[in-house]
Amino acid sequence: MSARPLQAQDKLAFLLSLVPYLIDHDGVSVAAAAAQFGVSEQEMRTAVELIAVSGIPGGSGQYQHGDLFDIDWDEFEENGRIILTHSVAIDEAPRFSAREAAALIAGLQYLSALPENGDRAALASLTAKLARGASSAPSPVAVSVRGIEDALAPLRDAVVRHVQVEFDYRDAQGETEHRTVDPLRLDSDDESWYLRGWDHLREAVRTFRLDRMSGIAVSDRAVTPASGEVTLPDVLFETSSTDLTVVVEVAEAALPLLGDYLPEGTRTQPGRGPGLVQATMRVGHYAGLKRLVARLAGMVTVLAPDDARAAVADWARAGLAEYGESTEEGSL
Amino acid sequence: MAAGAVPVEERLFSLVLALVATDHGLTKAEILSSVQGYRHRYVVRGDNASLERQFERDKDDIRDLGVPLETIEQATEAGNNQNLRYRIPKGAYDLPPDVTFTPEETTLLNLAAEVWREGSLSSESHRALLKLRSLGIEVDGPMIGYAPRVRVREAAFEPLRSAIDRNLVVTFAYLKPGERAAVVRTVEPLALVKHEGRWHVATLDRDRAAPRTFLLSRIVGPVTPTRTTFSPPEGDSAAAAVQELDRVLATNVARIRVRPDSDADSRLRRQALEPSADTDLRVNYLDANLMADELASYGPEVVVLEPSALRAAVIDRLRQVAASHTGTDR
Repeated sequence: MSARPLQAQDKLAFLLSLVPYLIDHDGVSVAAAAAQFGVSEQEMRTAVELIAVSGIPGGSGQYQHGDLFDIDWDEFEENGRIILTHSVAIDEAPRFSAREAAALIAGLQYLSALPENGDRAALASLTAKLARGASSAPSPVAVSVRGIEDALAPLRDAVVRHVQVEFDYRDAQGETEHRTVDPLRLDSDDESWYLRGWDHLREAVRTFRLDRMSGIAVSDRAVTPASGEVTLPDVLFETSSTDLTVVVEVAEAALPLLGDYLPEGTRTQPGRGPGLVQATMRVGHYAGLKRLVARLAGMVTVLAPDDARAAVADWARAGLAEYGESTEEGSL
Repeated sequence: MAAGAVPVEERLFSLVLALVATDHGLTKAEILSSVQGYRHRYVVRGDNASLERQFERDKDDIRDLGVPLETIEQATEAGNNQNLRYRIPKGAYDLPPDVTFTPEETTLLNLAAEVWREGSLSSESHRALLKLRSLGIEVDGPMIGYAPRVRVREAAFEPLRSAIDRNLVVTFAYLKPGERAAVVRTVEPLALVKHEGRWHVATLDRDRAAPRTFLLSRIVGPVTPTRTTFSPPEGDSAAAAVQELDRVLATNVARIRVRPDSDADSRLRRQALEPSADTDLRVNYLDANLMADELASYGPEVVVLEPSALRAAVIDRLRQVAASHTGTDR
């Protein structure tokens, strides 16, 4: 593994990919080539200038004319058009590396959950092509999904056609309300899919878990113009000033299991016993906290505030009651 | 950058061009004395040790990109590495002519790259897209309406991926679900698999001389590569690992009762073995401890009916949570 920044490698991949493109697109404008590769026009110019003075040592070992790429400099400098007048050594796109092919193949495996990708044969043929285009067998990385997410189909249809959707939504606290939403995008986070959109009930952008929706109905009403101007933040859920602060004690080894609740770099202090640390974390509501703590029984304890401790204890006792188990203390 | 210094990408690009252009290969001395980026620093009959180290690193960087840089050993001079010859056979370098992609396929591949937002999978899938762009296919951008994401937040992921590529035995401390103390494991890592939303590494456990699969989230502390290499088994290790996880999943069945219209209902019903309007469901699970963790998180929303060991494990967890959050002893 190289310890050097990837930048030079990425630039090399760019140069090796650009040459065959320029051979196939004689006279392409700097602007069009830059757009094709998603770089700035200045980056494209720099790359073309570098290619134009590169080549092979040749018989003399002196990089003589004829051993180098060449371009029509007048067209390039005056009209912003790229014409390769001479090329050496390479003329085809490079193969994928084993890791590059694997990254795309594993991504495709995840996308097999989309209703559009119900045709498994098409995915299989695309995967086979990527493998054939790699210089060695794709490295072993795989993503396995349970199957197609059926609810995505009507929602995607509504996103694409810019029409409102209605559904019943049960929130994290268990309350169900009827919602009317201008759908903007379908986001996923591993196994969970979310609809993000303008919520007419709350008059704000909201994120809805697909598995908490029921009775999804796509309307014929166009979305409100204002929703077209919304920019979605990168994160699905933002911490807000209304978030609650709780102090937890965690087995050190279990810290990574808390994931997004304790982002990397969160300050911790020693706990009450060996291997234990204390940290402060923010939660939207105790409904999420009690589930988290019950999932990590014995590894996470809420220390404060008291109502957070009570919410967790009540949750566990309510669970025990379902098994006919009594606990010494009643509900607080 | 020193005056007259050649940028790294120019040196790497020149090296690729020179090695593609040669049929018989070039020796290291020929490369260092003639290729742009090396030749100005080459000392005839002098000490070129630092330039040679540079060349070794450059070879690795170029191979990382999937460029098939070959080393040819002269049969008569085995062991004399000054006479090794290097080349890039053009046939193995070029993307095969039948590997082309329709605009629909390209759109899908763009979205596949978007699935990764961090780490090596993200940078590599974007580099693959760069190579696709050289084919000149119209790119409509990712499929509108979707923003898929698979997380790679476990610190163990990159070192394991690197060890898998280099067939290196690794050691790490592992906190097995249901246990309180981590144990150091020594394994041959074979494949990384996201299954049921969790990253696993499929391995051959050296101490147990048997296949073992580990959860990345339970690897505590660093993954340390050893100097020992191993020969991976033939075939598609990733597919085999998925198959094995699916097989184990199918062997464990729990009968549970869910509270209607609860989170437990909607999430566990999707995993139910048979569609049912009933509140009693049958679901598969991979690991009894992890399943007990998950079911305990639902509190009163779910009751385990069978098997009794799983039922007891959930009750045990709930008792523990109730006890540690009751009273002021903290």
